[in-house]
Amino acid sequence: MIAQQIINAVSLGGVYALLALGLAIVFSIVGLINFAHGELMTLSGYALLASLVLGFPFPVAVLVAVSCGALAAVAMERVAFRPMRGASVTSLLLTSFAVSSLLKVVFQNGISARPQAVAMPSWMTGAFSFGDFTIGVGPSISIVVSALALIALEVFLRRSVTGTAMRAAAEDFDVVRLMGIPASRIIATAFLLSGLLAGLAAMLWVAQRASVDPLMGFTPVLKAFIAAVVGGLGSLPGAVAGGFLLGIIEVLLQATLPGAIAPYRDAIVLSGVIAVLLVRPQGLIPAVRAQRS
Amino acid sequence: MPSLYRLHRAALCAAVFGIAAISTASAEEIIIGAATAQTGGLAPYDQPALAGLRMSLDELNAKGGLAGKYTVKLLIKDTRSDTAQTATVAQELIDAGAKIMITPCDADPSISAGQLTQPLGIPTLTLCGSAPVLTGAVGDVMFGTYPADNVQATAVADFAVSEGKKKVFLLTSPDSTYTANLPEYFGKVFETKGGAIVGRGTFSMGQPDFSAEITNIKGLADKPDLIMTAAYEPDFPAFIQQLRGAGVTIPVYGADAIGTPTIKALGKLVDGVVYTAAGYAEPGSKLEAFNAAFTKYAGHAPESTYEVNGYEIGLILDQAVKTAGSDNPKAIRDAIAGLKDFEGITGKITYAGTDRMPLRPVALMRYEGGEGKHVQTLIPDAADVPAP
Repeated sequence: MIAQQIINAVSLGGVYALLALGLAIVFSIVGLINFAHGELMTLSGYALLASLVLGFPFPVAVLVAVSCGALAAVAMERVAFRPMRGASVTSLLLTSFAVSSLLKVVFQNGISARPQAVAMPSWMTGAFSFGDFTIGVGPSISIVVSALALIALEVFLRRSVTGTAMRAAAEDFDVVRLMGIPASRIIATAFLLSGLLAGLAAMLWVAQRASVDPLMGFTPVLKAFIAAVVGGLGSLPGAVAGGFLLGIIEVLLQATLPGAIAPYRDAIVLSGVIAVLLVRPQGLIPAVRAQRS
Repeated sequence: MPSLYRLHRAALCAAVFGIAAISTASAEEIIIGAATAQTGGLAPYDQPALAGLRMSLDELNAKGGLAGKYTVKLLIKDTRSDTAQTATVAQELIDAGAKIMITPCDADPSISAGQLTQPLGIPTLTLCGSAPVLTGAVGDVMFGTYPADNVQATAVADFAVSEGKKKVFLLTSPDSTYTANLPEYFGKVFETKGGAIVGRGTFSMGQPDFSAEITNIKGLADKPDLIMTAAYEPDFPAFIQQLRGAGVTIPVYGADAIGTPTIKALGKLVDGVVYTAAGYAEPGSKLEAFNAAFTKYAGHAPESTYEVNGYEIGLILDQAVKTAGSDNPKAIRDAIAGLKDFEGITGKITYAGTDRMPLRPVALMRYEGGEGKHVQTLIPDAADVPAP
């Protein structure tokens, strides 16, 4: 039982970590909390559905869906956020809300207000048994994919020139520009990475939910925001830590709370978040540099 | 369009003959206000029901309107699936002169609209809100139209008992009246008839992860032979996907909200899931004829029985205006409340003697191989139905 719940917690935490990381990457570079991040997930979900309906084999469909998420993020930056570059935090925030609402309505009216079932391959609903307990294929994939994505991102940021430039930009963007690195490239790359992470998270999310709907982006972006804040806004290791912490707390509470208190689970989780922020106002692992406005 | 034409003609008459003929032209119009969700979480339920209602009103208008006399003008406003917004648009519709109000497929927004219509005595019908507490929470103008939650739950419980099920796990969510109470009604009937509730679990609507709850179910010392829930989209697909993914094969039963194309499209995943509907289209039945007519009207087949339920609301209103003999809201309300054994499309509908939640048949359905198969249709014994 306990081992099983730990797997559940790590699996959920991994997805939250991917989501929070997507928000944090963009925030660390441009100081924008992109609330339309959830709609990138929705878009990837619909792209997966469309590819499957068109008869693409499952791996190809996943590839198409994740690329759609990444490209959409770049397009979103180009269309909505680039004209707002240098604007105040509030303006950027409002822009991201506007993009989010707009996309939701487009999905609702253009596709359907009703959730669409996504038929996951049957092997994904399977489970393997180890003696006493069983691990579902879904949660296992979740854990493996999250781990691989986090490692790949770490390698990219440490070993590549663009990655190094991005880490530097997070600390001091002006100096990076003085080094002759184009700002647009750095920002576009940040959005591309956040879109890739949104796409991957969407695949894991949809695999667990078996449907996509126009409003599915709302909950994940909210969780990601909480995770990113708890971890330390703009700090990448912080986002990962915040994501895992949130996932673990949620699963543990769901598993242990007695029936009468269970409905207050979300309230308890959020109280926990407040407690963490009271002790560490900058988050678990604060960003290297205090955020610019 | 016809009413506009008539108005023109009346104006022409008045001009030519110098008589005020306007009154005869506009007096015979009745405004029905529909505060319904076109966007948001309730839209997948409100839209099909509204499509059915529009079809019946169009047909009635072609025959002169309600009771052949009152041309219906249907005003539709979007509630965005938001309870506060529902009150706002309901007020706008009242200000526009609505004499009958149609509200969304859920108790909370329907109650918020009902708070405005109750003092004015405007009869108010929810499209497919099925919580039996809904009518009592508002007052005598509020009517349910769909089989109530406690009636549906009794039908499912009767069936589960007849199958020899003994132990149930109830999965509820406190986030809506429907998801909170329906499984509990089931539990009451199930216990009365000799079954046992071996566990309870809760979820938040929109929650991504059910793994902890599922692990709890797996760890129960007393294994249930049935899971009863009123979860619907997108929670129901998530729950069953993760349940089956964790290797749990216990059957899951639900109610009307999972009788949708989305759940059907889950295919093998939902094999064996039992749900309810307002009716079943047996060959040669009125419902089969309706389905064909609706397909012609809307260009696509009905998704569920919400369409026919919406259509029947039109028929109920027509009958009520006939009985009332006027377009007086109070008289229409009394006429609806007095309906007895009214022949709808799905069967007989009775309001007389109820708390304004209708007595009407419940069809039990089961998913098999990606299709909804009819199990049986019944009207549960009123004595078995638990109090709201």
